[in-house]
This record gives sequence, C-alpha cells and structure tokens, in this order.
Amino acid sequence: MDNSIKTVVVLGSSGTIGSLVGGLIAQNGIKVYFLSRTLEGAKTGLRRAMTQARSEVISRYIECGDYDHLLESALQDADLIIESISEDLEAKKAMYNRVERYRKPDTIIGTTTSSLPLSALADGRSPDFRSHFLATHFYNPPGRMRACEVACTEATDPVSYDIIKDFLKNELRREVIAVNNVPGFAGNRIAFVLFNQITSLVEEYGAEQIDYLIGPYTGRLMPPLRTIDLVGLDIHKAIIHNLREASHDHMYEELALPDYINKMVIAGFLGNKTKGGFYKVLESGKQVFIDPHTCNYIPAIEPHVAFVEKAKRLIHLGLYHEAFEAINTARGPEAEIVKDILCKYIAYSYSLIGEVTKPEYGIAGIDKVMTTGFHWAAPSVIVNVLGGKEAAIDLLHARGVQVPEGIGREDTLTEKALGSMKYFIAR
Amino acid sequence: MQNSKVYMLGGYQTDFARNWHAENKHISAMMREAYLGSLISTEVEPSDIDAALIGNFAGELFCMQGHLGAFLINFDPCFAGLPTSRIEGACASGALAALTAMAYIKAGFYNLVCIIGVEQMKNVSPDKGGDFLGTAAWYEKEANGIEFPFPKLFGKLGDEYDKRYGLDDKYLARVSEINYRNAKNNPNAQTRDWFMSFEHANTIGAYNTIVSGRIKITDCSQVTDGAVALYLASEKFTNDYAKRKGLNINDIPQILGWGHTTAPIEFAQKITDSAGGEYIMPFTRKAITDAFERAGVANCWELDCIETHDCFTTTEYMAIDHFGLTGPGESWQAIEDGIIELGGRLPINPSGGLIGCGHPVGATGARQLLDAYKQVTSTAGDYQVPDAKKVATLNIGGTATTNVCFILGK
Repeated sequence: MDNSIKTVVVLGSSGTIGSLVGGLIAQNGIKVYFLSRTLEGAKTGLRRAMTQARSEVISRYIECGDYDHLLESALQDADLIIESISEDLEAKKAMYNRVERYRKPDTIIGTTTSSLPLSALADGRSPDFRSHFLATHFYNPPGRMRACEVACTEATDPVSYDIIKDFLKNELRREVIAVNNVPGFAGNRIAFVLFNQITSLVEEYGAEQIDYLIGPYTGRLMPPLRTIDLVGLDIHKAIIHNLREASHDHMYEELALPDYINKMVIAGFLGNKTKGGFYKVLESGKQVFIDPHTCNYIPAIEPHVAFVEKAKRLIHLGLYHEAFEAINTARGPEAEIVKDILCKYIAYSYSLIGEVTKPEYGIAGIDKVMTTGFHWAAPSVIVNVLGGKEAAIDLLHARGVQVPEGIGREDTLTEKALGSMKYFIAR
Repeated sequence: MQNSKVYMLGGYQTDFARNWHAENKHISAMMREAYLGSLISTEVEPSDIDAALIGNFAGELFCMQGHLGAFLINFDPCFAGLPTSRIEGACASGALAALTAMAYIKAGFYNLVCIIGVEQMKNVSPDKGGDFLGTAAWYEKEANGIEFPFPKLFGKLGDEYDKRYGLDDKYLARVSEINYRNAKNNPNAQTRDWFMSFEHANTIGAYNTIVSGRIKITDCSQVTDGAVALYLASEKFTNDYAKRKGLNINDIPQILGWGHTTAPIEFAQKITDSAGGEYIMPFTRKAITDAFERAGVANCWELDCIETHDCFTTTEYMAIDHFGLTGPGESWQAIEDGIIELGGRLPINPSGGLIGCGHPVGATGARQLLDAYKQVTSTAGDYQVPDAKKVATLNIGGTATTNVCFILGK
C-alpha cells in the first residue's frame, strides 16, 4: 500500500495556521489546495505562505480556490486533509458533512483545533472517516514553533497515526508529540493553567510588575501577559473556559477567570489585534498598561527589583545556575511570586505525565511541547537550574506544593540541557 | 618534535541558529557554553588543560570586546594563570588558532590545548556588519564606502571564472541548494528549518534579490552567532586519555597534514598575479597540496569528504577545482555529476558549510575541524558520510588571502 502523501487539501487556508501549515507542505514540493470561503481569502493565505518561505516559487505547488468551486475535485484528489476552519463546532461539523461526501476512502483528516473535543467533532461520521480522523495541533507561527501535538480518538486507526507522524516529522520537520485526547492536550493545558494563575496576580501587583517578575529571564521568550495579548484575550478566555468545563478536580477552582478579564473582553481590549490588551502602545510610542480595577490604561512604572536584576546579569554572562540560586535565596513578596510560578510549572508538568502524554515518555514529551510550542525552558531544565531533584523538592515542600511522583533527577548538565539555556533570556 | 603526532579529542558546537543578541548575552556566555559542552562531550578534565587559544576575528568591532582569552580564567577556578591568546586571521581565525595549538604541541610546550572559535555578529545592523567584515579585505582600497564589499569581491571571483573558463550561474544555485539540503540534517545548522530549492536559488525574485554583481542572497553564507570548543592533544596525553576512557588510541583522530599560505591581501592583485596560471587562487591550491603532501595523501580521491569554506557559492566553486575534483575551471562537472552531494564520490560540506550551517567568522575553522572529527569518529548523526576515515578542511580568510587546510584522520 502506498502511504505517501502527494496531495493535500487545507480547509480554512485564509487563516494563519491553515495558510502557514499549507505553506510548509508546499515547501516540500507537495501539491496543496488552499481552500477558503472566497478565492480572495485563499490568496491571502498564499501570500502569507510565501512570506513565511521567503520565496515565490512555492506558489507553483499551491492551487487556490473557494469551497463552492474547488472543494469537490480537490477532496477527490487528496491524500490528506488539514481542517483549520474557525473554532466553531457546528461550522466544523457542516464542513465534515461535505468532506464525507467527496473524500476518497483512506484519506486522513487532521483537525488543527485547540479547544473543541474530538469526540464531538467525529460524532455521526462514517466508520472510515472516524478511523482516519485525528488532531494535528500546530503552534503559531509554525515556521518558528516546531511542535505538533497529535491526538487520536478511540476509533483512529493506528496506521493513520503512523502515516501522519512520519509525514509531520520527515516532511514538515515537526517535533511530533503524541498526546492523549484530553482538553488542551499537553501544551495549552500547562501554559493556560499557568497563565490563569498569573492573571489572577495582576489585580494585586499590576500588569507591568507581573510581566517584569515572570519575565524572559525565568525561561520564556516572551513575558506571560504579553503572550496573552498575542494570543488574544477572547481566545484566552475561551481556552480557560473549555479547560474548566472539562476539569473534574481541584483545577476547577484554579481555572476561575478573574473578573477583570471579562471586563476587558467586553470593552474590546483583546490584545494585539485590537491594539490594546494588557499592553498598549500610544501614538507617542510610550507603553501603557491596563489597570485591572478600572480597565483604563496607566503609565509605566518601570519596576526594578534587586534579585531580578541580579539574575538577569548572571544570565547575561551564561551563569544560569547562579541566577537561579539568586532567585531561590531572595526574600520578599516579589521573590515569592517568582518561586510560586516556577514551582507551579514544574509540579504541574510532572504531575501530568501519563495524563496528557503516555507514561513511558516520562517528562520528555512535555519538555518537547513547552520548548518547541511556547519557547519556554522545559520543566526538566528548570529542575536542573534549580540544582536538581532534591533542591527542587525542597523548594516545593517549602511552598506547600505537592511533590509529583514522576519528578526526575535532572541533576546532570547534559549537552541537550546546555543547549536549552537559550530559553533563559537576560531581559 | 616535527614528527610528533597531534590528536583531536572532539568538542562542542553551539546551535548556530541562535541569536545571542536577542538573548541579551555577552560573547563570553557563548564561549562558556562551548567550553562546558566540550567538557561534557569529551570528558576532558579542566585541570588537564595546559593552554587555550581563541579564534576570533572582530570582537572589538562587533562587541567592543577584545582580549577574549582572559575570559576563560573565570570559567573554572583551576584556570588561574592559564596561558591564553587570541588568534586573528579574518575568517580563517579558527583554523589559525588550531594551527597554533598544533605548533604548541609539536614544540613540546603543552600536552592539551583548548581551542575556542567564537564570533557574535547579529548585534549590529547588516550595513554596519558588512563594513566591519570589510576590514578582512584592504579596507581603504576595497571596502571603504562600499555597502557590502565581500559579496562584490566574491562576485568578481565568479566573473574571473566566467572570463577564463565560462560559468553558468545555475551551478552556483546548485551549490547553494546542496548546502541548504545538507544543513537540514545538521541539528546545529542555522538554516536547518529554512526553505530552499534549486528553483528558488536559481531565480531572481522579491525574496532572492541581487546583492552585488552575480551574487544573489542565496549565494551568500549567513550572519551567525556561534562558538565551537575543541581539544588538540599530544600523543602522551592522548595515550592516558584513551586508557582512562577505555579507548584504543588508534581510534582517536589525528591531524595528518596541514597547509598554510598567505596571498597578497588585495583581490585585484591576486587576479593579476595568477593570470596565465593554472589556478585562479594558486596560494589556496598550495595550502591544499601542502596538506596533502604532509598527510601522505596523493590526491583528493583519498579523502572521504571535505568541509570547505563557502562564504559565497563562488568560493566553493573555486574550492572544487583547487582540491582537484576536476581540472581547473571545470568545477561545474563535479556539481553536475553529483560528486559533491551526500552519497556522491566526494561529498563537500555534509554539515551544510558556511551557507547552510552558518558562518560565525572566527568560529568557522574550528567548526570545520569539529565536523571533520565527527565524520571520522562516525558521530555526525544524520549527516554522516558512511565509513569516513580521512576528511579535509579548508578555511579561508579575506578573498582567499589566508588559506589553512587540514587533513584529519586515523
């Protein structure tokens, strides 16, 4: 049986993920149909794909069209369908009706959904559709974020999984992370639970101070609130809502959305796309920050905390363990916030081994998605810079955080861990 | 002493895709990572290191920081008093540092020398960086007031080939495409996730504009931040090291031969001087043949692969006939026949070279040697040339002004 993927259909190619994933596929000389509601939408996606590749020649492998004119023939031609239309259950189900009508048997269907349950999406579909249906969750922008989580339903044929895994790994150069079919998969589950905890601190400490304290020096390319501005507060709210709905444990309480975020969403302060979220840049070029109590913007205070500045200076010189020693030994409410968030990150990540990824992967799958999906330092690397397992457990105990069973030793500095120090940015 | 053996014990390369300026890190942080990584990969004891040499071109210009050898002293308490120097020869600085280390060992000064090649380049604007790199040419005559002097000069190298022998630019596009393709297999290569195809490299477009003359963006190597640390050792030290690690000393690669020449710095003078001769860059040819002779290598076909300087596609085009893969001016034939590709008779730049892997100027020569080591010890992973036993490196400074060739093997 020839399992090679020669022709791909991207549904929703006017969107960012659809067009950029479609572009990555075309970069390998594979024919891709860019389909959208309108031809102009598909062409917008094509332009985005060319910008990502920094080349016009990939357009030779891309054919643009709208659903009414090209869907039927394109689906009949496809070996793989990437569905990336809007995150709306009914819209996706209506699209799947059309896909079911025209697709060839054995064509794999991957959805890029980050929040809708796979079982609901597959509900009512034919056995052949369901056995070829899985989630291919890419991270944005896929040109820079190499993670792709793949989740199967109970009906997914393992052969479909193997074919898509090989395709993602070998053709699209993805870090493929096999994840369980759980809300938020691995990456969004960990990141957004953490984001929610961080947003709950904003009312007391202010947005600017929180992003300063939990800044890039703690092991992330971008501070957390700035990341939420990039994602969009409306999307953030929807992801938190979906995670909460699916929670049956203590997470339910922890996933309560702070009320001021609802107010920001209602007021239209959605982040970068509305030119104002937690951050806003004035015409003068000055940066101002949301006041969660009034939903007005307030001037920057330019925080300066001694242990933070010390840690940044040490990271600037490549002294990562010394930087975390400075954080660990610091006292005061600001230091407690930083240590709380670091503890939460490692404890939660290790506690999810087996729940979001297969137990035999250990922390490796979670490490992979947090680095290549978010550009965060991996949980295992945080344990390493804190001084290894025993030191990390001491820190967790001191904060009353439950120590997860699977926490690894992580006390040896490997070449891989050394390379991961790139996620600690001296800012 | 002349006949004493010099062994290579391996080392570590930083990920050349990183932007250390965006990480807000000091050039010494890059050196520190390369050093720490080399300890992990080689299991060398810091207290065994007798001296250190830094290959670096222009730390003063890019980073306002010279005297790089002194930074090592802070890397380990046992380094207090360690003899260190920084070696400079433009883009050949890394190879010159290794050559100096080799001389130390052959002279019996030291038994174990650490070499760190390093350059930080992404912290300045492209035009400023181009101006700084112009100091590797005769700045007053060839670079002052010129936006990108080196693409212009290496474009002229292509023009000279065209004049003497004829040159179809599609072969330059093929050289680019092969280097990018190889880089995809190298987890430390700068361009490993970039798109490239022959069609793209062979097409002038909005994203592949002409930089100067016949040089397009795809003909150029990269602006790269990176560091490489590696170790050269005497036979005495290597014997003890092999015993400690349970290795046979015969399985540890040696530098079998070397060549080092310097041509006049001005490009035009080189071209005038070589008129009527067999080779356009006779001093590059001499560095190669000197290395062959010292290594007892009859010709290039005794090699298993080459890591060559390819700051531009024209540079690699020149290296192909100068290494003797073809007669002078016939490099196109080796490209057309697939000889230089992975799987070909004599692969060039399995790592991706300066075009694909990246070109942190002062680190490149050290990176080439480390890649040669990986090939000879079958640890090159996905870019391994099967059963490689002898590998040549060619590191060039300026417009083929300083030329250093090594043959590494067992």
